[in-house]
Amino acid sequence: MSLSFALVGNPNVGKTSLYNRLTRSTRHVGNWHGVTVDKAAKKAEYNGETVNIIDLPGLYSLTVYSSEEAVSRDEIMENKSDLIINVCDASNLARNLYLCLQIMELGRPVALAVNMMDELNKRGMDIDSDLLSGRLHIPVVTLSARYKLKTDTVLDPIRKYAKVVSYPELPYLKNLPLNKVRALLGENIKRCKLRESYVCIKVLERDEFILNTLQLSDSQKKAIDALGDFQTEVATQRYKYIETLLDGIYVKQKNMKTGARLSDKADKIILNKFLAIPIFILIMSGIFWITFGFIGGFFTDMLENGKDALAFAVYNGLSSTELPVWLNSLIAYGIIDSVGGVAVFLPQIIILFFFLAILEDSGYISRLAFMTDGMFGKIGLSGRAVFTMIMGLGCSATAVMTARGLEDEMMRKKTVVLTPFMSCSARLPVYTAIAGAFFTSGNVLIILGLYLLGAIVVIFSAALMQKSALKSGPASFIMEMPKYRLPTAERVLQIIGNNIKTFVVKVGSTVLMLSVVVWILSNFSIQSGFVQAGEGKSIMESFCTLIAPIFKPLGFGNWQAVTALISGLAAKEVVITTITSLGGVQSVFPDTLAAVCFMVYTLLYVPCAATLGAIKKEAGGKWMLFGLTMQLSVAYIVTFLIRIIVLSFDNGIFAGIISVAFCLALFISIYFAFDIFSKRRCVRCSGECLNCQ
Amino acid sequence: MTLSDVKVNSYCVITKVDGAIKRRLLDMGFTPGSRLEVVGSAPFGSAVLIRIRGIEIALRESASKVISVEEIK
Repeated sequence: MSLSFALVGNPNVGKTSLYNRLTRSTRHVGNWHGVTVDKAAKKAEYNGETVNIIDLPGLYSLTVYSSEEAVSRDEIMENKSDLIINVCDASNLARNLYLCLQIMELGRPVALAVNMMDELNKRGMDIDSDLLSGRLHIPVVTLSARYKLKTDTVLDPIRKYAKVVSYPELPYLKNLPLNKVRALLGENIKRCKLRESYVCIKVLERDEFILNTLQLSDSQKKAIDALGDFQTEVATQRYKYIETLLDGIYVKQKNMKTGARLSDKADKIILNKFLAIPIFILIMSGIFWITFGFIGGFFTDMLENGKDALAFAVYNGLSSTELPVWLNSLIAYGIIDSVGGVAVFLPQIIILFFFLAILEDSGYISRLAFMTDGMFGKIGLSGRAVFTMIMGLGCSATAVMTARGLEDEMMRKKTVVLTPFMSCSARLPVYTAIAGAFFTSGNVLIILGLYLLGAIVVIFSAALMQKSALKSGPASFIMEMPKYRLPTAERVLQIIGNNIKTFVVKVGSTVLMLSVVVWILSNFSIQSGFVQAGEGKSIMESFCTLIAPIFKPLGFGNWQAVTALISGLAAKEVVITTITSLGGVQSVFPDTLAAVCFMVYTLLYVPCAATLGAIKKEAGGKWMLFGLTMQLSVAYIVTFLIRIIVLSFDNGIFAGIISVAFCLALFISIYFAFDIFSKRRCVRCSGECLNCQ
Repeated sequence: MTLSDVKVNSYCVITKVDGAIKRRLLDMGFTPGSRLEVVGSAPFGSAVLIRIRGIEIALRESASKVISVEEIK
């Protein structure tokens, strides 16, 4: 049986980075709390033997507050691993050791892996790991997972401690009334199947998980309560002990200045009351401009011209061969032109993902959560939702999973269902192609408008949900701000490489396959075989012409647009490949307004099947269906209103302003209707209690 | 006084921690006797940034209201 090592520790200390190093994996990492939400296990080669390394979500204490923390707690409780490697942040040992002490209270084999030593060293400090190891009676290794490391350096010092509980009872336990608790628990204590002193400590802490397992009688519960409140005492005992442990552990390095680095003081500027928002706008505009304006303009135009030329040349080349016309058309236009049309956006998508990764790795994304928490709190979400939303700019399906870190279940489900409104990277080719065709100079502004619209829809929908039966209670918000960090060159290359690979694989398989299928359905009819799209009645055309009238009020009520929308259910990139292969952007949309309405609809309507699957997994089938209904309704209504507003402006500024005012009045009344209705429903009061404010 | 009354860029010591999220706060290091600095506050109110035991933690007003403190120079 190969040995198992479980990586346990506070959030954002580098467990997943270490896991990736040891097992040569590429699990997602980021400089914020909540990146790792599930368990993973993989084998690693060490000195000729194979060992199992397990990566887990971070937690602060064995008393947990969310489902992904529970994953780690369960792994530790179930005692399936041979040694727990408690990964710590070298600059933050005090709080990190709090968890370590609990693991030792529980009595599991444990070793300390002090990570991020490079940062500590840069601040002019070092750690006397031998001294710490002697005091704790467990092995202590120091490392920096940020840079390449050998498995040996990590596992050599600790391997022989597997399955060994090397330490005596912790000294502060005798300061707590554990015997009294043990006496009160009686036989129930056996239900936990854990070390008895640990159970007693957890009872003093009022840990719900342990208390539920114990199934105490009412008289027992009363007796425990009568002991008094020991939560503060237990925590204080642990931290006092930690102070004695760490006395003299941090040593100044010779010839180095100690003290805070620039990055430690950065928050005084970045979170300054007056500078915070301007800085945010500056950063976001910069990202936007470089992605869509600058790089987008340059590379995409170049690639696009190349692609057009290639499609044309291939078609002509194939015409002189014996291949049937339909196959020519499929290869040249069904594939090269349309799928190629998505492939040309690879540079933009790479840049977008690059900036998202920088936002994550730098630590700025946590500052965003901090800044927006006030606003999000009022609409029933929390600043943590920012993580999910920003990840949603890359891929909604993976973003949805990060919502697991949210403690409140209702809030989590709402966040999950709202995430698709944040425009994902797969919709990018759709906007860029359509906006690029209809707006020569203003296309970047249009795309910016779409992203902003998505954010506004998220906020308004959340506000409405908060005033309905889907209200979430006031949640606590305690979040650690990670240090500012810059990714290493190795990491930057890894990010870019990963995204190129994902993109190429997705476009080369899913998008390609779907585009071919849609092309065939649109160019073949059951009776007459190959028909040029539009001339005869292909399968897709017949079907979609029936549905198209629904979209007439939105301005794009033709079968090509409907085909594109339906194909987008599978993958959003296919929306634009379909349009390209069915005649191109200019012929599918009668005018600019129709194109804009189509883009708005694409922004808001249902996400791809992968995202729907992720939503179902995180929030359940009912919520997925609710989300679907909401997304379709919101998409239709918002598109319709935008169309009306623009058409009104065609009739003069005055008419335009009236229609904008009308829409605003409409939204305000909807909001107040929800508000009044929610107060009527409140069973506790008539609009006066805290929950209704 | 509570943490919510402390101004930005000042220091204080925790005297007591109450409330439903007490244990969570204690776990994160907010124990009686700990020194902390109020580093900043969020633009729209509601959250404060605290430096405690060398790291920065953001707290909502609801949390800072249950932490009783004494100001120090």
